[in-house]
Amino acid sequence: MTELKQIAKSYKKIKLLLIMTAILTGASVVAQAYFIVTIVDHVFLQGASFKEITSMLLWLLAALLLRVSLTYVNGYLGVSMATSVKAKLRQSLVESYTSNPLQSSLEGQSGKKVSVMMDAVDEVDSYFSKYIPQVIQTSIIPLMILIAVFTTHIYTALIMIITAPFIPLFYIIIGMKTQQKSEEQMDKLAAFSGRFLDTLQGLTTLKLLGRAKEQKHSIQKSSHGFRDATMDVLKIAFISSLMLEFISMLGIGLIALEVGLRLILFESITFHAAFFVLVLAPEFYLSLKDLGSAFHTGRGSMGAAKKISEELKKDSPPIKWGEAKLDTNKTPPTIELMNLHLSYGEDKFALKDIQVHIAPFEKVAIVGRSGAGKTTLLHVLAGLIPATSGEVLIKGRPQRDYAEHEWFNHVSYISQNPYLFSGTIADNIAIGRSGPTTRKEIERAAAKAGIQDLINELENGYDTPIGEGGRGLSGGEKQRIAIARAFLKQPTIILFDEPTTGLDLKTEKILQASIKELSKTSTVITVAHRLHTIQHADKLIVLENGEQIGQGTHQQLIHSLESYRNMVSVQRGGGVK
Amino acid sequence: MKDLTTIIKLMTTKKKDIVYSVVLGFLAGLAAIGLFSASGYLISKAALTPPLYALTILIALLKLFSITRAVARYGERYFSHRATFTMLSDLRVSFYEKLEPLAPNLFQRYRSGDLLSRIVGDVESLQNFFLRVFYPPIVLALVFLATIVFTMFYSIYISLLLLLGLLLTAIVIPACFAASQKKKKLFIRTSRGALSTETTELLYGYRDLKIYGQLEDKKSQLIDSSTEYVVEQQKEGQLAMANQSIHTMISLFISWGVLALGAYLVSTGQLDGLFLAMLMMISLTAFENAAPMAVFPNHFEDSRNAAKRLYSVVETNPKESVERLNDLSLGGAKSISLTNVSFSFANEERPTLNDVTVQFPKGSKTAVVGASGSGKSTLMQLLLNIQEADSGEIKIDNLPIDGLNQESIWEHANVVLQENHFFYGTIKENLLLANPGRTEEEMMDALKKVDLDDFFLTNEVYEKGENLSGGEKQRLAIARAILRGGSLWLLDEPTSSVDSLTEKKIYDHLLDQAKQDTMIIISHRLIGLEKMDQIIVMEKGSIIETGTFNELINNKGYFYEMKQLEKNLLM
Repeated sequence: MTELKQIAKSYKKIKLLLIMTAILTGASVVAQAYFIVTIVDHVFLQGASFKEITSMLLWLLAALLLRVSLTYVNGYLGVSMATSVKAKLRQSLVESYTSNPLQSSLEGQSGKKVSVMMDAVDEVDSYFSKYIPQVIQTSIIPLMILIAVFTTHIYTALIMIITAPFIPLFYIIIGMKTQQKSEEQMDKLAAFSGRFLDTLQGLTTLKLLGRAKEQKHSIQKSSHGFRDATMDVLKIAFISSLMLEFISMLGIGLIALEVGLRLILFESITFHAAFFVLVLAPEFYLSLKDLGSAFHTGRGSMGAAKKISEELKKDSPPIKWGEAKLDTNKTPPTIELMNLHLSYGEDKFALKDIQVHIAPFEKVAIVGRSGAGKTTLLHVLAGLIPATSGEVLIKGRPQRDYAEHEWFNHVSYISQNPYLFSGTIADNIAIGRSGPTTRKEIERAAAKAGIQDLINELENGYDTPIGEGGRGLSGGEKQRIAIARAFLKQPTIILFDEPTTGLDLKTEKILQASIKELSKTSTVITVAHRLHTIQHADKLIVLENGEQIGQGTHQQLIHSLESYRNMVSVQRGGGVK
Repeated sequence: MKDLTTIIKLMTTKKKDIVYSVVLGFLAGLAAIGLFSASGYLISKAALTPPLYALTILIALLKLFSITRAVARYGERYFSHRATFTMLSDLRVSFYEKLEPLAPNLFQRYRSGDLLSRIVGDVESLQNFFLRVFYPPIVLALVFLATIVFTMFYSIYISLLLLLGLLLTAIVIPACFAASQKKKKLFIRTSRGALSTETTELLYGYRDLKIYGQLEDKKSQLIDSSTEYVVEQQKEGQLAMANQSIHTMISLFISWGVLALGAYLVSTGQLDGLFLAMLMMISLTAFENAAPMAVFPNHFEDSRNAAKRLYSVVETNPKESVERLNDLSLGGAKSISLTNVSFSFANEERPTLNDVTVQFPKGSKTAVVGASGSGKSTLMQLLLNIQEADSGEIKIDNLPIDGLNQESIWEHANVVLQENHFFYGTIKENLLLANPGRTEEEMMDALKKVDLDDFFLTNEVYEKGENLSGGEKQRLAIARAILRGGSLWLLDEPTSSVDSLTEKKIYDHLLDQAKQDTMIIISHRLIGLEKMDQIIVMEKGSIIETGTFNELINNKGYFYEMKQLEKNLLM
């Protein structure tokens, strides 16, 4: 509610300028009316010649010019203010989207977040470009008109004073409703965006399942829902302007009647004065009505602003990082997990009591059936998800003591499905290292990752666009890109998530060689399904339902842990015995 | 312009609302002029001390005009907006409809954030086309003509001046603006698309960005896009403001001219002074109707760009294939044959599939193996008719695939792709997609078969299944295939992220359920292929070996070598 007012406070200078333009506008309105009336009065009743009124005509022209220029300045200031506010709001949304821990960044539909970023922020525009300038105008101009009328004909001024308050009263009542309705409207729009983006991503799946037509209906429903919500908002706006119209009409009618009667029956007012107040009366109500419609859009903006601040408040507290430096001298730091627990609320998945010590250059494999918590453990190790309790110690200090970039500088994470950014292959590899990278370095990294041959076969080689809007890559190719990123980065800790899944044997061989190469300079922690990975591991961590049920080497575990033995025997093709 | 024609066509379906809008707009415009001219006349008349009844009639007239104006304005707005927003809603749906057939190749050309920005932002901005471009000029012309005719009764010179004003404000000035706008070229639509795209990518690629320390770069890139967008908006806003001011200035100047000319005519006795105030008021009010013309070129240009952006996506329609009349018949296992099939992706020299000939007999179980990039998944896409072969022939049940209705192929297929999409919602909703007729028991049973019995149907699924592990997603996709109930199984590395123990269990279930059906599995492992009727080995887009497990082992060819490699790796 108050978010926008808070923001508006910081624009004192613009507001001061707006006040000045409003005062000048008020003066030009009164002057314009005065000159028109005087000219008509002179030629109509006093039979003045054209020559006598020429100077007056010129003055009128000057007043008109002034008024138009002031309207321009007013609009210009409003647009500038709105621009700066929108930029700031988007910046804080970006901050929020980028500082969230991984878990909350996965929640919700991305389309909805995009909608807040795009549409809700745009909706805020009119609060600053229209509402605020209009509030300032309306709090000054009618007052000036009132003073002018007051000095000319006091009864008209009294009618104005009595009828005017109905107008703001009315739009306060209506405005309340508008805000609620326009919040609904933004919700519907966000829902539509979310549904559309989600549907788009899964269109192939949907088509194969024969559901694309049904999905059309749900898109249609969503779209019509948005239309209805929009119409609801607009209906209120139209009704409100109808009502305002009636009120101002009543006011003008009363004024006309009063001066008319006075002019004819009592002859207690001059034509000049009567015409003057009659010209000013519509201006008076117009300014109030304009505030009415600005108020309406302003309320709409407030609805959108609420959506934005909800999105900003949704922030789970960002993971706090310290300032400490992680100096490794090219030797991987020791990693210790102490009584590590993780839960996402009561019935959601958890890691329980993980205790591990990982020495430099150790090759660690995390094994377990799918859904045992292997990837989650890797995420915690990477510092992407904070543990609920317990510690991750790096070189004997809590992970969070280090500066964020210090830590991530030492880590590469090769996930099951690395994300490819829209850009060339070279760009996608270069992302591995911050700072400038030469083409030679990229090529060397690609060669080490065993993807060079594939790239050379492409017409544009390293400049082939991939990712969304580019060539699609297979799962194995994507992982090799991720490994090339790691070669470029030369980290001391490498986290692999099921690195050899979904690949054929030849590719696997290439990857194994790459990993071996990388492990010469770093500690490698792998979520593994493959025997050859775990056989070469110095230490295995066996997980079951989030619990660590065993730790040791392959040889040790195969003798001591039955469920491990079962897993391995199927891998060898022997089946469960 | 061609794109706008499409929009206009869509609009004419709302004929009734359009007619109402124009008529009511005209009425409102006239009533406003009537109101102000009457009040100008009233005050002048009053100055001459007329009989009271004349005044009463005038005041009654005044009331009538103002009520008419308010009500007509309300009606005009209501109908015009109703027509507009219904049209926009239809437009969004029709855009999606046109987008849908382009699905598999869409993302090689467009980024999803960009498409979102088009369907929401661009469609939304088209509202101005009807509200500010299409019908206001009609209303304006009608109101002005009526006014000019009316003023002719008082002074031909003044009506000529008004006509000049109309030409200036409605045609000449907007045309000048349009010309200057063409030169400036605002990139507001494109920059909005860019921002939307960047935001979407940041959200999707969050983890990788974070790990590689690129989040800051991406963030500043995003902030740059945001700045560019608001600056474009600002430019547009200020340009509109300037145009409006110039326009108002001209129309005020005309009104000033009416006053000056009127005053001159009165002083020379060619016009009764009684009407001077009235004519001045008419002029001031009439030009209020012309005010929207100031932003006309702005909105016109914007609408044109938006329409162009929208239709450029869907108009790149690939070659419309021959009418597909045949439906694949219901029930029974399918037989599939490929004869000399070749395929290459657009812009790629090397064919992805090269002269492939293979038979999948009715009820057979086939495994396809080969190195990554050997064309296995492409083969699957051709079988599903997501891609069409460049040459050669594919037949299902002896019917050429390009004569078959695509939907009817998919209806019979239980498909697991390498990447399966899951929607934001619950497990149940995601399973029901496969077959809305399935009961909860059947769903629970399918979950059990893929070893996901610890899942509840009510469990939440995040967008793209982000809260599920790779193995869980694959198993859920298999559960979907099980529930689908078709007789053709096409599985692309369905268990690559599933641990071996679970994998074996799932395969046993699948082979049991698919006993009568035709099944093609692309496999990443060579274990468990003994049960297959045939194994196809692919290398660089060609089939290099075909046979049963034992045949291939005895042949001591490529498959045998792969098997040895696997053994070596294991031991």
